[in-house]
Amino acid sequence: MTENVIGSAMVVGGGIGGIQSALDLANAGFFVYLVEKSPAIGGVMSALDKTFPTNDCSMCILSPKLVEVGRHRNIRLLTLSEVESVAGEAGNFTVTVRERPRYIDVEKCIACGKCAEKCPRKVKNEFNQGFSERKAAYVPYPQAVPLKYAIDAAHCIYFEKGKCRACEKFCPTGAVNFTQTETLHHIDVGAVILSPGFSPYNPAGVDRYGYGVLPNVITSMEFERILSASGPFEGHLVRPSDHQEPQKIAWLQCVGSRDIREDAHGYCSGICCMAAIKEALVAMEHAGSGLDTAIFYMDMRTHGKGFEQTFNQAREVAGVRFVRARVHSIEPADSHDLKITCFLDSGELHEEIFNLVVLSVGMEISKETRQLAEKLGVAVDSDGFAATSGFSPVATSRPGVFVSGAFAGPKDIPQTVVEASAAASASAALLAQARNRLTHERTYPDAMPVSGQTPRIGVFVCHCGTNIAGIVDVPSVRDYAQTLPDVVFATNNLFTCSQDTQQSIRQAIVEHGLNRVVVAACTPRTHEPLFQETLQEAGLNPYLFEFANIRDQNAWVHQKNPEAATQKARDLVRMAVARVSLLEAIEPLKIPVNPVALVIGAGVAGMSAALNLADQGFEIWLIERESQLGGHARQVRQIWNNEPVQPLLSCLIERVQNHESIHCLTGAEITAIDGFVGNFSTKVQTHQGLHTIAHGAVILATGGQPLQTTEYLCGQSGRVTTWHELEYLFDQYPEKLASATGIAFIQCVGSREPERPYCSRICCTASVQGAIRLKEKKPELRVVIFYRDMRTFGQREALYQKARGMGVIFIRYSAEDKPVVEVDAQGGLLITALDPILDRRLQIPVDYLNLATAIVPTEGQKQIAQMLKVPLNDDGFYLEAHVKLRPVDFSTDGVFVCGLAHYPKPIEESVAQGQAAASRASALLVKESIDIAPIVSVVDESRCIGCGLCEASCSFGAIRLKKVTGKGYRAENISALCKGCGVCAAACPQQAIDMKHFRETQILAALCAGAAA
Amino acid sequence: METSFQPKILAFLCNWCAYAGADLAGVSRLQYPPNIRVIRTMCSGRVDPLFAIRALKEGFDGVFVGGCHIGDCHYQDGNVYTLKRMDMLARLLDISGIGRKRIRLVWASAAEAQPYADSVTDFTASITASGPLDRSRQTLALAGLSRALATPRLRWLVGIDRQVTERSNVYHEKTDTAHFQRVMQEAVETEYHKAMIQEIISQAPANVRELAEKTGLPVYTVSLRLNDLERNAQAELRGHEGRTPRFAAAA
Repeated sequence: MTENVIGSAMVVGGGIGGIQSALDLANAGFFVYLVEKSPAIGGVMSALDKTFPTNDCSMCILSPKLVEVGRHRNIRLLTLSEVESVAGEAGNFTVTVRERPRYIDVEKCIACGKCAEKCPRKVKNEFNQGFSERKAAYVPYPQAVPLKYAIDAAHCIYFEKGKCRACEKFCPTGAVNFTQTETLHHIDVGAVILSPGFSPYNPAGVDRYGYGVLPNVITSMEFERILSASGPFEGHLVRPSDHQEPQKIAWLQCVGSRDIREDAHGYCSGICCMAAIKEALVAMEHAGSGLDTAIFYMDMRTHGKGFEQTFNQAREVAGVRFVRARVHSIEPADSHDLKITCFLDSGELHEEIFNLVVLSVGMEISKETRQLAEKLGVAVDSDGFAATSGFSPVATSRPGVFVSGAFAGPKDIPQTVVEASAAASASAALLAQARNRLTHERTYPDAMPVSGQTPRIGVFVCHCGTNIAGIVDVPSVRDYAQTLPDVVFATNNLFTCSQDTQQSIRQAIVEHGLNRVVVAACTPRTHEPLFQETLQEAGLNPYLFEFANIRDQNAWVHQKNPEAATQKARDLVRMAVARVSLLEAIEPLKIPVNPVALVIGAGVAGMSAALNLADQGFEIWLIERESQLGGHARQVRQIWNNEPVQPLLSCLIERVQNHESIHCLTGAEITAIDGFVGNFSTKVQTHQGLHTIAHGAVILATGGQPLQTTEYLCGQSGRVTTWHELEYLFDQYPEKLASATGIAFIQCVGSREPERPYCSRICCTASVQGAIRLKEKKPELRVVIFYRDMRTFGQREALYQKARGMGVIFIRYSAEDKPVVEVDAQGGLLITALDPILDRRLQIPVDYLNLATAIVPTEGQKQIAQMLKVPLNDDGFYLEAHVKLRPVDFSTDGVFVCGLAHYPKPIEESVAQGQAAASRASALLVKESIDIAPIVSVVDESRCIGCGLCEASCSFGAIRLKKVTGKGYRAENISALCKGCGVCAAACPQQAIDMKHFRETQILAALCAGAAA
Repeated sequence: METSFQPKILAFLCNWCAYAGADLAGVSRLQYPPNIRVIRTMCSGRVDPLFAIRALKEGFDGVFVGGCHIGDCHYQDGNVYTLKRMDMLARLLDISGIGRKRIRLVWASAAEAQPYADSVTDFTASITASGPLDRSRQTLALAGLSRALATPRLRWLVGIDRQVTERSNVYHEKTDTAHFQRVMQEAVETEYHKAMIQEIISQAPANVRELAEKTGLPVYTVSLRLNDLERNAQAELRGHEGRTPRFAAAA
């Protein structure tokens, strides 16, 4: 570790993982270089239609993050760029980045699309998986960030033949620049995060699937684009060969995964089962009830939060067929349809005709990513995934270089986001001393007071090149604006967003004494922040601004009706002027932040969170109910990759206990938590007495516990044990193992049952590992595992292969026909179960039976949830703010979750989630105060009658009743928690609540202006 | 010519889904009729049904509300409240004779440009077919709707819906949805009737028969509602005309 630590980091790969790492680091005081090899960030997620298990629209949830990255002052995007080499050491690297030319000046490009319109060369659109065409001048997809066109030199006619340059001729801003050349950047950073992601397995050339030969055999990625509303068929579900709607679709699981042949991968890709279920459900939504969907699978691996419920719903409600079979061939049935042949469970040969076959392709590490790892000196395993350790899941073999996402093993979006945050916090801990050294914040002149002044409104009408002016008569709109009440200045600009126009807006504000501004241009969603900044630079409060959307929602959608579009533009400007004249200056709300974190629970998740935050320089209170630190990990023997847990755990505990910034309270109970983001106060009872702790953030790591069961003679026979008990029994009494001849494991005890529908995720791997250890100790021991679906997800699949190789017997059972356990005449156990392969009921005598019981939330979780007003899901686990993209946050600011309290998970995932929670918390704790969006509710206490309806309808606890002497109750705003939706204002029976910036008077002013002819 | 009628349509779109979907419709160059004027709110849950009635009063022929799909709300469940309020508004519009066809609630995600454009096209066609809203004949109805929607009773009832049907009341009882709907329907009718009577007597004293004629309600119903209003000190006896009592808004 060097003395000279650099306060910046480089994130390699602009998918959802890289985006999350970049945002976390940039928000925590570090400058970030985000390197992306394609022209735009977004990665695989941008091409997905929906995301499981909630079927959220993928682009909708991703797009705000893209915009945030694009606008972030402390993130520099390097697109079309790749890392060449990394020199130096942790804390002080020099990275060489090769940036390919875009041939378009991003400073000048306004994304009007003229270049693409005029470009004569059509190319297959890879974003739409080749189902549609794009031009050689293009943006990868409409929501791309940066929203700048690029010229694809590989297909550009000018580069092929030396002439054309149509794009250059028609570009209204002169942004096309064919003289651009490749650039080498040498960038100094303190840490590097690798998030290059995965490539979908390519089944082309693998004869058994017929992919590439049979047009209606497609991959799951292709199917995503077919389903997408913005895809090649606008979400119309058709098959490629004849664009007909399919009546029957088959999904084939494990294509390229769980397949030990040369042309495939042995590991499980972990996500494809859920992806197939999601695609089947969405397809049925698109097609209506007539669609027949069948998923051909080996084991359904729905081991994530909410996954099993979706699986059940697909099977029982939606009617998706699940066929347990590995399809051995796909043949053409006629010129379009396909015949699938497989052996069913019963041993019967099954043939079925489908109109479309979707190959659920797995993940693999591309050649480029392997090369990147080699260039950087980062060790990878035999599958090409970055080598990591269970207790440092985001650290690579090279200090200072971290990893997140699928490059560290197959995983889904939430786990990628968790690791991305973890990689950010690991980097932040390394670079803590250089925090805020390279970042900068904008400062503005003091805003002029405007209250009481007559409005003086300036209106700026944009041509947007020809985008608006080609349809709307812009000068007439400007002239009309001039006639509106209180408008003292109106003008039109070719590009209102350009640098020089910002300057002229500032000038106009000063020269004409403007105190309100209206811009009639594109959309506030992308451009309002830009103009608000311009107002601030000119000394105006940013809320004295209103947008009239005359491009996206006018000129572009009424292209055949210029007159009506012009009339509409006038109306929209009139509405904007009416509203802006009533807008008020709103001061930003600042809340001080106490830079102390409280971590509840000292298992691996809580300790990882505490240690990382302490390493970042924050003071931590770590609260543990037990007398010892360590939680359940104290009983665990191995990480899935066979690393021994106990030495690593001891090391972690020692570091936590010896850290000067961590105060541990053991034998402690939380009795009350009050306050809100930045300013919590918690009462903790210990043997020493009652502690009151002031802190700015809370991390919930309250853990989980195995279910106590009476099933399978548990509690009645000393030979029936759960989880780790059996191996501890053998450790204590080796003679018991020596005399044993048979041992069984039963999986899913209490999980995947109607009263507890979720899968406990870790039990299959735990039992398989236990079985392997027993076999290693005593090879002749007969070990049987009764399971429902073997869920050794990801690279854990190797354990399953190994166990079978060692002779562990796996017998599948169904929920309807569970194994029956009895005590036999000799005092041993007799297990009777149906073997579905032999189709015969077997009786297996064993000496011991170990049960993998469900992991359930810990006692007391509910009370903590109530104290903090954070939600629990139906299974009693904490419900995060968003299952995909905010996996450790709550909707309530300042509260974070990690570990088993969130959902059952293995140690390495708990560590990563603990570090992720630390990352999210640190972005809050680094700030002296936080700005709260001041669009908040205000209560008129004189009208309030204290009915409490507002409190009941607020999902954020931002409005509540307080006692007022002599008046009973009155509503009170807690602006720090208010998100500004306005639900309370519309709910109030007394109409006593109003919303700043969306006041009733302001909305009605726009409404009345819109109605006036 | 019927086809020459160009309706005026006001839309409230939530910032996160419907407004974004409308922008994407533009980016995708989807075409739809130019009759719609959009007001952006952060959440569709900001839209007070009173805004919709005000829009109809001021000159719009139809009101369109766009929000996120249920479950996708940026504010968790603001749109569920929108759904409840729009349902109440629809009931009121039906009772008033203006008809629920004048309003439309649409869920459109940020990616659903085509569904958004289709809904706007369809709603515009539907309003065009319905013809202009004849405000001169609907003065009383519109005034009554505004008054009814401002009553604490209806505002309380629509606000408490989720609490009593999804969670439980103060006695830990859950109310059956069908039962709640009946209560709502009854309340909506009563409040609208009272609102019309109040509107008339706020202008000039009237007798029961005149009130029945103007509101189109049976004499018996008018008497009952007047009774309610008197009890709540919202109406009072203001002299007789011969032997017929006349009522006025309470001073």
